[in-house]
Amino acid sequence: MSAVSTTPTGADRYGAGRMQLTRSFVTVIFSTVVLLVACLVFAPSSVSWGALSGSLPFAAIIAIVGLGQLLVVQQGGFDLSLPGAVSLAVVVSTHYPQQNDGLLYQAVLLALAFNLAIGILNGVLVSLFRLNSIIATIGTNALLYATVFAMSGGVPSVTTGLLANIAGGETFGLPNAVYFALGATALVSFMLKKTVAGRRFEAIGASPAAGEAAGLRVRSYQMMAYVYAQLFYCLAGVLIAGITREPTAFQGDSLLLPSVAVVVLGGTSLLGGRGFPISTVLAAFFLNQLSQFALSVGVPYSAQTIIQALALGFGIGVYSLRWSGKVRKTT
Amino acid sequence: MLARNSQDVALDARDVVIRLSGISKYFSVVAALADVSAEFRAGEVHAILGENGAGKSTLMNIISGTLQPTDGEILFEGRPVQQMTPEIAKSHGIGICFQHPAILDDLSILENLRVALPASVFAGAKPEDVGRRVLAKVGLLIPLGMRADGLTVAQKHLLEIAKALALEPKVLILDEPTASLDQDSTDMLFERIREVAAAGTSVIYITHRLAELRQIADRVTVLRDGRVRGTSVIGEISDSDLVGLIVGRTLKSAFPPKAASAETESGLSVTGLTNKDLKNVSFDVPRGQIVGIAGVAGNGQPELMRVLAGLRPAEGQIVLRGRKLTQPELLREAAFMPSDRHVEGVAGSLTVRENATYSALEKFSTAGVMSRKKELAQVGAIFSELAVKTPGMEAPIFALSGGNQQKVVMARAMLSEPGLIIADEPTQGVDVGARFEIYRILREVSEAGTPVVVNSSDAVELEGLCDKVVVLSRGQVVEILTGEDVTEERIVAAAVKAETHGDSSLAVTQPSAGSRLRDLFRSDNAPAVPLAIVTVLLGLYVYGQNENFFSVYNIYNILLLATALGFIAMGQTVALLMGGIDLSVGPLAGFLVVVASFFITDDSSTAMMLLGFLLMFAGAFVTGAINGVLIRFANFTPIAATLAMYIAIQGCSFLLRDNPDGYISASVTDWVNWQWGPFPVAFLVLAAVALGAETLLRRSRAGWRLRAVGSDEHSARRAGIPVELTFIGGYIVCSLLTGVGAIMLMTQIGVGDPRQGVNYTLASITAVVLGGTSLSGGRGTFIGTLLGAVLLTEVLNAVTFLGLTQTYQYLFQGLLVVVAALIYASVGRRKAH
Repeated sequence: MSAVSTTPTGADRYGAGRMQLTRSFVTVIFSTVVLLVACLVFAPSSVSWGALSGSLPFAAIIAIVGLGQLLVVQQGGFDLSLPGAVSLAVVVSTHYPQQNDGLLYQAVLLALAFNLAIGILNGVLVSLFRLNSIIATIGTNALLYATVFAMSGGVPSVTTGLLANIAGGETFGLPNAVYFALGATALVSFMLKKTVAGRRFEAIGASPAAGEAAGLRVRSYQMMAYVYAQLFYCLAGVLIAGITREPTAFQGDSLLLPSVAVVVLGGTSLLGGRGFPISTVLAAFFLNQLSQFALSVGVPYSAQTIIQALALGFGIGVYSLRWSGKVRKTT
Repeated sequence: MLARNSQDVALDARDVVIRLSGISKYFSVVAALADVSAEFRAGEVHAILGENGAGKSTLMNIISGTLQPTDGEILFEGRPVQQMTPEIAKSHGIGICFQHPAILDDLSILENLRVALPASVFAGAKPEDVGRRVLAKVGLLIPLGMRADGLTVAQKHLLEIAKALALEPKVLILDEPTASLDQDSTDMLFERIREVAAAGTSVIYITHRLAELRQIADRVTVLRDGRVRGTSVIGEISDSDLVGLIVGRTLKSAFPPKAASAETESGLSVTGLTNKDLKNVSFDVPRGQIVGIAGVAGNGQPELMRVLAGLRPAEGQIVLRGRKLTQPELLREAAFMPSDRHVEGVAGSLTVRENATYSALEKFSTAGVMSRKKELAQVGAIFSELAVKTPGMEAPIFALSGGNQQKVVMARAMLSEPGLIIADEPTQGVDVGARFEIYRILREVSEAGTPVVVNSSDAVELEGLCDKVVVLSRGQVVEILTGEDVTEERIVAAAVKAETHGDSSLAVTQPSAGSRLRDLFRSDNAPAVPLAIVTVLLGLYVYGQNENFFSVYNIYNILLLATALGFIAMGQTVALLMGGIDLSVGPLAGFLVVVASFFITDDSSTAMMLLGFLLMFAGAFVTGAINGVLIRFANFTPIAATLAMYIAIQGCSFLLRDNPDGYISASVTDWVNWQWGPFPVAFLVLAAVALGAETLLRRSRAGWRLRAVGSDEHSARRAGIPVELTFIGGYIVCSLLTGVGAIMLMTQIGVGDPRQGVNYTLASITAVVLGGTSLSGGRGTFIGTLLGAVLLTEVLNAVTFLGLTQTYQYLFQGLLVVVAALIYASVGRRKAH
């Protein structure tokens, strides 16, 4: 090929210009549509308006913590401090105001401060001291629960009316929590895909060594993943505090596994790199709807869990088959 | 063919050991080898000659079974081999020394030998004596108990060669064995090669150095772009013909013309660079010139490149166009093209476009928001300019050939509009066609006024490309060649002539005084001592506050709880040693208790109970096998596989029992909790198992394999270890140990409760981490895990004895993990230095 053939239409030659739908997105959309059709046919009650508005807030919460976990997973990490972080946000926003609406915003700010502090601690331990993220966050999770007990003594407290209105209310017929989830999704998608910082975040997650060699500030990006994640855990915690009338001190425990499951189902590799926030949120809806479906056709709780595990296994299987092809070619 | 002399006839009369016919190998669409046929005969040294990226290493990997050919056949002693694997190759007596030695860093020298060599080598003598004899053959004087990560690159190469020679192979493959050796070691190696060839071994010697060829080879086959370009007896072919075969065209026309006039204006000037690896390095890059860095491998060239790129600090001055730069400024100005493209050059999971732009994103944005149009236009323009061949902008980067990947790296460098280009081995693994494109681009960049510094191990490349060559030895500049002096001969001569080249320190001085203590400190079991001390001190402190703490009853209680955790954590240790993790241990333990609650009750017959125990272990076995198979054959990450398993097992528990029911037999409970003084007998069993497992880990083949796959899977595979089998076996052992833990747990819970057990996942990881096992695999200790489990249980128990709230239980647990992890991490780093 002869050398310099610079033309202004260089971009066209390389066949780009159109946004391509990612395969994970197609997979998740397809599964969700299949599920919804199945719901309509076999269990119409599970897609009734009443059922949806009852279950959507919980899907929204899984989506929000999923987004936080997503950011950490993108940097090749794993955040096990999620249960403690969410529980602490719940406890702070119920125990601190003690049903006094006037103290609510202070409580939220306090929760935010706690979450940010623990995010920074996680980030410093992982990026600066190079601790394995699993170890570091097991440790900080225990510290978070220590704080939870110090604040609450492990007993539940009734939420404030204002928070119940904001988090548990409905606007235009949709639960408010759904708006929060949609907002968070839009924010993460925009930041990751459309800004310099987000694109760099993904590149560093895909290969920290390459980022380092290119002179990028790898450690600060890695650290910030943990801090951003805590913002979402805090949001989820505050929402839970509003949606549930009397939330327990362990509200976060049941969210850890789903948060990882939706990230994986959303097609993001646990090895880090590119993240799929919209697919992650759809996966949260999918998982939630799957339980609803199982519930309405009368499947016991045990079988529901197994169905979820199968869905998760199937999802990973679909993605990793494609992966294996790619990996073999490169080794 | 021309008439042959008698020697050739003799050569041809020898038996063919390996015959390759029509071998092809494709990586996605790129052909690494196409229709390669060759014969390798007994008793001769057959050199495979070719440029970087000609397909030599791929060919060797196919012969040794590491890669499978896409097409073609391998015949061994006349019989076709259906599918060559590393194990089959080894059983046929094919020994290979890889260019990157398959040495496992976390294993000791002796363990490296014993895991890679068949047991027959060590039969009938003390392993240490055999080990010393094997090493002596290549003149390596190193302590056998030393961990391999302390070896220099040259020592690792010699160890690799020693391993191959010890097999007394029928075929010995050496892949660029002298790259990092000094003259003495090279001479010694050649002597060994002549010896084994004389004894009838067929030696396949891969190199790109012509000079070596004449010294050692009987016959040569030249590869270029994955095809055989010619085979000849060494005496019948001239150097210039060989070069012609290698390059495919004459050298002169291949390189772009050099800088026309000798400009005096300096583009980049470097004075007195000094750090750990460099001593007072000074040189000048005149405007419009390309400067090359040369030297024998391991003399500071890559370190110099990193300093020039601003990635490493160094004393001294770097002045770019009259402006003195600090390290951060340099980092911003310089565009670095790393030599290890797969690790540092490109991000494998990103597309071609994303790889081209990640360091220059600001150029396509306004106020931090990206413009897709701008990005596509500029990337397209630069791709046209560099003639990048790609199926599309959104294609995965590894779909491109090595040369085009490197062009993408160059595109990225140029998009960031650098003040300086630092290219470290820019043509490594690049096909010939793309190499000349890369030379052209570098020349154009340089002519446009950007200083270019190139490090290359290929003197021919430096001769053709550079206007000036700086030769390094031991981090010092030994010669600067310019103009007519930039020739391959002068460069090699300068590099080799310097007396202090290579790392010739083949002996490691063994510390005599206090070496046993130091060995303990360096060993994987080092955490045991401080852990035991902390456990005792904590015990004494709590005893001081509340003397019931040391009552027989309480000690028994702590140890009994620690036993359940201990067994499960032992299982987790196995998973972590392999570099994996098993999140499903907690639910599995709970599930097995639920299973037990159907069979091991007071109403059950003995047969029924035995069946129950059998089913528990069968369940554990199946779980471990599924985990292992998912991870190894379905390509799940360990976290993903065991997470899915976690959820599924929990479902199974609920499937069996909705609510707690089924009381565990009291007599079984009494047996399991049998007390001897303050000790539960079960705990003593655990301690014995831990000691036994520790011994197996250090002294048995299974133990070495376990640590080998965790240390470096790729090297382990090349060393002939059955990686898949080891992983699956490891996960099964992990689940079986969890099963034993479940028996303890069953007597503690006393009832089949589907909600119990899940906590043991995190607790087991915590105990293992406290014990000092590394999550990155390869290093760990069962004794440490045992102590970790005891300490963790003791802390939780102490909190109640001190009358503290649950807050402190969590606080101490958290602090313990974080502090322990920090200490182990910092000790690990200090050891590394």
